[in-house]
Amino acid sequence: MADIPRRMPVTVPTVDSAWRVRARRWRELLGSVLANPTTVVGLVLIVGMLAVALFAPAITEPNTPDPYQMPRDWGALNVPPGSPGHILGTTNTGGDVYYGIIWGARTSLRLSIIVVSITVVVGVAIGSAAGFIGGKVDEILMRIVDVFLSIPELIFALAIAAVLGPSFRNIILALAVVFWVKYARIMRAQIIHVKDNDYVDAARVIGDSRLRIYLKDVLPNSITPIIVQATLDMGHIVLVGATLSFIGLAEAGLAEWGVLVSEGQAGISAGRWWASTFPGLMVFLWALAFNLVGDGLRDVLDPRTETAR
Amino acid sequence: MTLPQPSMSPARATATDVIASVTDLRVHFRAKGGTVHAVDGVSFDIHDGETLGLVGETGCGKSVTARSFLRLVPMPPGIAAGGSITFGPEKTDLTTVDDRTLRSIRGDRIAMIFQDPGKALNPALNVRDQIAEVFCEHRTDDVLDRAGIDVSGQPGPGRQLLRRRAAGRSRLHERMVLALPPLRGRRRAIEDALDGMIADALAETHIPNPRKVMDRYPHELSGGMRQRVMIAQALACNPDLLIADEPTTALDVTVQARIMELIADLKARRRTSVLYISHDLSLVRRICDRVAVMYAGRIVEIGPTDRVLAEPLHPYTRGLLAAVPSASQRRGELVAIEGTVPELIDPPPSCRFVGRCPHAAPACERRDPVLAPIDDGHAVACFLHHPPEDVADDDLPTAGWAGRS
Amino acid sequence: MQIRDYVLRRLLVLPLLIVGTSIIVFSLTRIGGSPIGIYLSHEMSQDEVAQLEERFHLDDPLPVQYLFWASGVVRGDLGWSGVAAAPVTQVFPTKLAASMELAIAAAIVAVVLGLALGTYAGARRNRLPDHLTRVFSISGASMPLFWFAILLLIVFWVNLGWFPVGRSDADIYGRIAHPTGLYTVDALLAGDFAALRDALWHLALPAITLGYGATAIIARMMRSSLVEELQEDYVDAARAKGLPERLVLKRHARRNALIPTVTVIGLTFGFLLQGAVVAEIIFQWPGLGRWMADAVLRGDQATIMAYVLFTSVLFLFVNLAVDVVYAYLDRRVVLGE
Repeated sequence: MADIPRRMPVTVPTVDSAWRVRARRWRELLGSVLANPTTVVGLVLIVGMLAVALFAPAITEPNTPDPYQMPRDWGALNVPPGSPGHILGTTNTGGDVYYGIIWGARTSLRLSIIVVSITVVVGVAIGSAAGFIGGKVDEILMRIVDVFLSIPELIFALAIAAVLGPSFRNIILALAVVFWVKYARIMRAQIIHVKDNDYVDAARVIGDSRLRIYLKDVLPNSITPIIVQATLDMGHIVLVGATLSFIGLAEAGLAEWGVLVSEGQAGISAGRWWASTFPGLMVFLWALAFNLVGDGLRDVLDPRTETAR
Repeated sequence: MTLPQPSMSPARATATDVIASVTDLRVHFRAKGGTVHAVDGVSFDIHDGETLGLVGETGCGKSVTARSFLRLVPMPPGIAAGGSITFGPEKTDLTTVDDRTLRSIRGDRIAMIFQDPGKALNPALNVRDQIAEVFCEHRTDDVLDRAGIDVSGQPGPGRQLLRRRAAGRSRLHERMVLALPPLRGRRRAIEDALDGMIADALAETHIPNPRKVMDRYPHELSGGMRQRVMIAQALACNPDLLIADEPTTALDVTVQARIMELIADLKARRRTSVLYISHDLSLVRRICDRVAVMYAGRIVEIGPTDRVLAEPLHPYTRGLLAAVPSASQRRGELVAIEGTVPELIDPPPSCRFVGRCPHAAPACERRDPVLAPIDDGHAVACFLHHPPEDVADDDLPTAGWAGRS
Repeated sequence: MQIRDYVLRRLLVLPLLIVGTSIIVFSLTRIGGSPIGIYLSHEMSQDEVAQLEERFHLDDPLPVQYLFWASGVVRGDLGWSGVAAAPVTQVFPTKLAASMELAIAAAIVAVVLGLALGTYAGARRNRLPDHLTRVFSISGASMPLFWFAILLLIVFWVNLGWFPVGRSDADIYGRIAHPTGLYTVDALLAGDFAALRDALWHLALPAITLGYGATAIIARMMRSSLVEELQEDYVDAARAKGLPERLVLKRHARRNALIPTVTVIGLTFGFLLQGAVVAEIIFQWPGLGRWMADAVLRGDQATIMAYVLFTSVLFLFVNLAVDVVYAYLDRRVVLGE
């Protein structure tokens, strides 16, 4: 949808009290974000997930030598939920589903944090370059963005990961290659919008350098849609990442939700529903949590944009 | 609080020539901090064939009052908090009547012209389709009659299909059947009849080339043309009452005058009563027989236009008149009323105008003046003219036009 | 006139985008090791390898290699599919037919259900149906397709036994002529209702799985644009004419609400393309997506590249079509950047 313009409204503080205005705005925003019950549900879910991810070593005994590998209990294959030592049952290779869920949260957190940080930095840099320099550079960068957008993201990531060879590290890389594009677009639109605003002119008249203007005025004003997108992506990336590892692009035996679902899939015709159901539920809840919060943030931060995915 | 007020009608008016009568109408809105009393005890009559102007600032409740006639105020957030609007000789209460009867009145006996014709016409339908709806809805028999189709005989499936076509109710499969030979001819007759009626309606508003305009979409027409289409649509069924909600506000000044002339002209020819909503007293002067001035959800003054404009009684009306530039006024003498309209959230029992009134006295803070007649058809809600007997003179407002010193 | 210019401009950009996409696809083949890997074996001498490299132009500079590759693509030479053990272009049509059938069924499910749900919710804003639809929509955007598919399988296949897995049985399908390769259409053309029933039965679960996400998106968009339209003056004007609420909704509000929804319907097509990979794996549907998944796991580059190129180009054309339809529907739209 390259030609449907996204409207990105930005509130314009005055030059002198920009920071104070901004601080007050953030406080107000926090209040209105928390006024939406679905956002609060999402926040609670996120906090829960993060707690599980951060305290995974305390919740379950880490597997040695690599805690991100599923421990195998070869004496207890396909044990149903509720069995002693395996609350949520085991897979057909004796993997403990409970362990996979707990450490899967840590894997997912690692995946989403790495990918979101890389894509935000790269996207903001490229978008800023395009928006600020303008002209030919802008033209070329945006055509590249258009090309990237014309390949459906899951298929693109799938192809990259496949070409690089199946491993979780390559999934991270593939997702990073695919997901920076949105940030570049948002950032460029913001910069062009903000550049037109009077207070940047005011700053220029005062004699600020371009870089200073960028750091002081443009960047802080452009940050809200980036935050919204990043929040949504925290969930979306785990969703896509789990899909890739479900297809088989992660190492077998990795404590990751998609891998577990895939492992459990073989057993469902024999009535062993648990090994797929629980980890899949975790992916759903993770994505749901960030979607709820992302939507809530978007409603408050820029109510007029409705980014469809 | 305020008691239900008697409807203000001139002594000479008899019950028969009142076409519509609003009694103690209250429309509230639920809002964050409480309940907004947008319309708070409004009463007036509309007489047969007259043009009544309803004047006030933005947000005074005049549009909500007008929309209440057709029950177009969305509920929720709106709340019908009381009062009635009776209409016609049979005194149908429009606020409580069942949906079916209301629909039969809408567009047929009461029609409405909206403020911005660019928004009130559906952008996805051409002029023909939009006007046709009115005829289909209310004049199905006339359409069939004009098409030379007699459906009064024995009801067969074919007739039913044709009748449904004339009523604009054909579904997709029915339309396919109607496109085929046995019924095709008569369907075309119906469409020709409709086209004829639409063209006539458009021609009445002096639109050149009505047949061409029919095929246009709203965005292809100028603002003035759109409002003409809107008027043609509203007057299509010869309504008894036309509600015009600021019909010229969205138009160019040059077009305004012509549209006003058109409304006045059509009204005179059809003896339609008009409720003319405006924020502009100078427009009201030109076409209204009587005028009601609204402030903060209340009518503060009502009477014959020349009387109200010549001798305004309420301080607010005087302020409004002073704010209107006139030819006799020297330049730079434009007076604005100080202050702004009060918040209408859970208002206290005081005069609504007290915060801006140059005559404000302690009594005005404590009590709520009621609209009461001064003389023949002229009424005002102000303690200047109706001092309550149980209040000491010191607490009452005194005359003398302090506001223009 | 305006719309024609707009379409022309879009058409001019299209080849650029296609070339850009092909460059990316080509670069991918060069990241992942030697593209002639499948022809090499340990017994080959250095000379033999060099010969092969020369034959496939691997000794030329990259831009030249790209041109050789691109001209091959244009001539319909997409290479050898290791997974299918046949040339890509030869396997493609049958797989495509299977995928098309699934995608079309899913699209029908999504559009019909999405519009109905969105209209129903939008007309009942902030009431229970609206809240339920919102829950449905947000869940749809967060639902891992692979998990949803497995849940459906657990419930409807394993426990209830209502629906089968895989595509229609070969022997039932074999009874009838199959000019299109779409089982349902072929069954209809042959007038064989047993075959049609069987084909639909097999289609149901994967189509629902694949359509779910798109349904959620369409419902959400329809709902919000209907809510917006219902606040417009022309809706009140329609009521003021005396139209029954049903017609106000149908003839006035919904018609305008559909315009922005069309765009989203186009976007969801990308959703369907992506989901097909997962849905086809789980339901053992012999389409392009499953072929792609197999190719991914076995490093079959030719198939991967063909699939990426095909879906991207298809996606581009669908988006173009959607924009044109949108511009046509909404003549008020401001054309241009």
